[in-house]
Amino acid sequence: MQDLLRRYGTGLTSVFCLLVAFWILVLIVLPNFAMFEQSFRPYLPVVEVGGPKDVYSFANYSKILDNGFESTIFGIPVTLPIHVLTFLDTVFFSALVTFFTLVFAYPLAYYLAKIASPRSIPTLLLLLFIPMWVSEALRAFAWYVILTFNGPLNAALKGLGIIEESIRWQNGIFTSYDAIVIVLTYCYVLFMLFPIYTAITSLDTNQIEAAEDLGSPWWRTHWRVVIPHAKPGIASGCVMVFMLSAGSLLVPTVVGSTKANWFPQTIYTWFNDALDWNTGAAYSMIFLLACIVFVILMMRLFRVKLSDIAK
Amino acid sequence: MKQTTSAFSRRRFLQGSAAGAGLLAAPAIISSKALASSGEINFTGWAGYPALAEKVFPAFTAATGITVNFKELPDQDTMFAEGKVALDAGGIDVIEPTIDRVGAWDTNGLLGAWDESKLAMDNYLPGLADGAAGERSRPGGALKYVPSNWGTESLVVNTASAKLSTPPSLGDLFNPENPSVVRPHSALAAMGRWLDATGKLPRPWMDGYSDMAAMTELWDIALAEAIKAKGSVVQWWSGENEANAGFTANGATVGLCWDSTGFNLRNDGYAYVAPVEGAFAWHQGFVLMKNAANVEQAHEFVKYVSTPEGAAGWASAFSSNPVGKGASDLMNPDVATYYNGTFNDEALSKLWWWPDQSAEFLAKRAEYADKYKAA
Repeated sequence: MQDLLRRYGTGLTSVFCLLVAFWILVLIVLPNFAMFEQSFRPYLPVVEVGGPKDVYSFANYSKILDNGFESTIFGIPVTLPIHVLTFLDTVFFSALVTFFTLVFAYPLAYYLAKIASPRSIPTLLLLLFIPMWVSEALRAFAWYVILTFNGPLNAALKGLGIIEESIRWQNGIFTSYDAIVIVLTYCYVLFMLFPIYTAITSLDTNQIEAAEDLGSPWWRTHWRVVIPHAKPGIASGCVMVFMLSAGSLLVPTVVGSTKANWFPQTIYTWFNDALDWNTGAAYSMIFLLACIVFVILMMRLFRVKLSDIAK
Repeated sequence: MKQTTSAFSRRRFLQGSAAGAGLLAAPAIISSKALASSGEINFTGWAGYPALAEKVFPAFTAATGITVNFKELPDQDTMFAEGKVALDAGGIDVIEPTIDRVGAWDTNGLLGAWDESKLAMDNYLPGLADGAAGERSRPGGALKYVPSNWGTESLVVNTASAKLSTPPSLGDLFNPENPSVVRPHSALAAMGRWLDATGKLPRPWMDGYSDMAAMTELWDIALAEAIKAKGSVVQWWSGENEANAGFTANGATVGLCWDSTGFNLRNDGYAYVAPVEGAFAWHQGFVLMKNAANVEQAHEFVKYVSTPEGAAGWASAFSSNPVGKGASDLMNPDVATYYNGTFNDEALSKLWWWPDQSAEFLAKRAEYADKYKAA
């Protein structure tokens, strides 16, 4: 704060602070608080709002436990409330997306930060950025076209004689969430790449050379030197990709199979199909809290502190 | 010489009158609407039908001098959401939902009443604004809804590869040999009506629309049957694009889709077929917002769409059917041929109009659709 004052003077500093306060308060805190308040009230006709039936309760929240549904998780038959099942699927496959983006992004980030010649970096970064200039909606639709039954992927594979019958890629080979995982990984891989790239750039190359001089094989150098240093970058990349994937509505709607259901779609259904905004708000709150808890648990598990990420 | 100071100098006068003029003009400066309220209407309707803005609105403006501020929305759930916001914020005069939603919109307190003396109720074709439809247009007694066009949701089939029974039936949607494109809640209703027609339901399917206990009883059965047959569904649709892609990109051979989908695919080897149980039919029209600002203009607007020119323009834009007498003579012959190819007199007499669906029903229906989707 002192630093800001000294550098920009009172006028600019107070403009900064006011803008940040406006952003946080008006665009984040107040809308969420309004949803929070609405989530405890029943869905009533407009004329009955504020009437005797309009009382606070947890009824909207408990709806998530309704509607038991038989399913199998890893081959074990279970009966779970349908929306809990959707929620677990969403969290599991978002974690999978996070894992895949990490697998793609880490080697690339290391290459960019330590191996590629500094002169080629701007070109490489530009190449990575170009897909981001296209809107996410268009990228999702492009993938929809690629994966469809009569789409170019099937045509190409058939033309090359690799497959004989067209495959319904959208419905999945392994799970009914294949298409969603592919497209989310594609859409969010850069959100993983850049934090890791930044983190590895700050690592002194001498440390890597020292490890190699002392006879460390390449994998141990990464395990003991590079990854520990890049941990904050990896952690913030993981948090971003996980939250973006779990909260994505567009991608599952466009490419999702007829068997996949993403939790944001359930929330959307409450708002726009059932017209029950209150239950929709309750589900949003549940989802927000559960995802935060999941992220905190994961950070505990991997021993990352919030202050590491903030750096 | 002494300078006389007058309380009322020339300069003071000029200053005062300038300020006064400014005050008088203020409403016009602050809001252009304050001056323009004589000749505009804020209309919220369906997105994706460009002929409305290209042909119908200019013709209406030429006839009446009223301009139309058109806000396009993709579906009527979004319209309801906007309407609910507009109840506080204003800015919407007329919205265009389907008749089955009018009950729910009315119980939510969104709707004002039309003044029948300012409309031309005689312009409408028989059966659309009178009779049973007329009663449904008057929740609580006053006229809350007038029709704009009507159409059907029926079988779109690939003429070469769809396996159809004779005569075609809603059951063909659930034949495992037919890859299909449906929307969840319509598919469940189709399953219900098919089971009803084949005598496999304990009570009439229609009971579910008036009695919530019957609804859960019947929809449980329809859901269980639909889940058994779900393997053949290759695409969900919620709008024109997805429905079309379901056939062309994902290879569906049968679908339960709007007439406009069938119309757009009519030259690509697909036909629009009425099932033996009767096609689903919908009825779309205008409601007046309770807090509408341009009430007179709204009546003019609605009246125009009941004239032959207005009704024909509206129906052509939606590739659907007109509500006004004499309008069909003005329609695009392509659309007329297409419709007559699907609906002979018998098929017309069997049309199954979507019943009223209360807010409670819609919430429950969404739950069933959700379970069907996730299964």
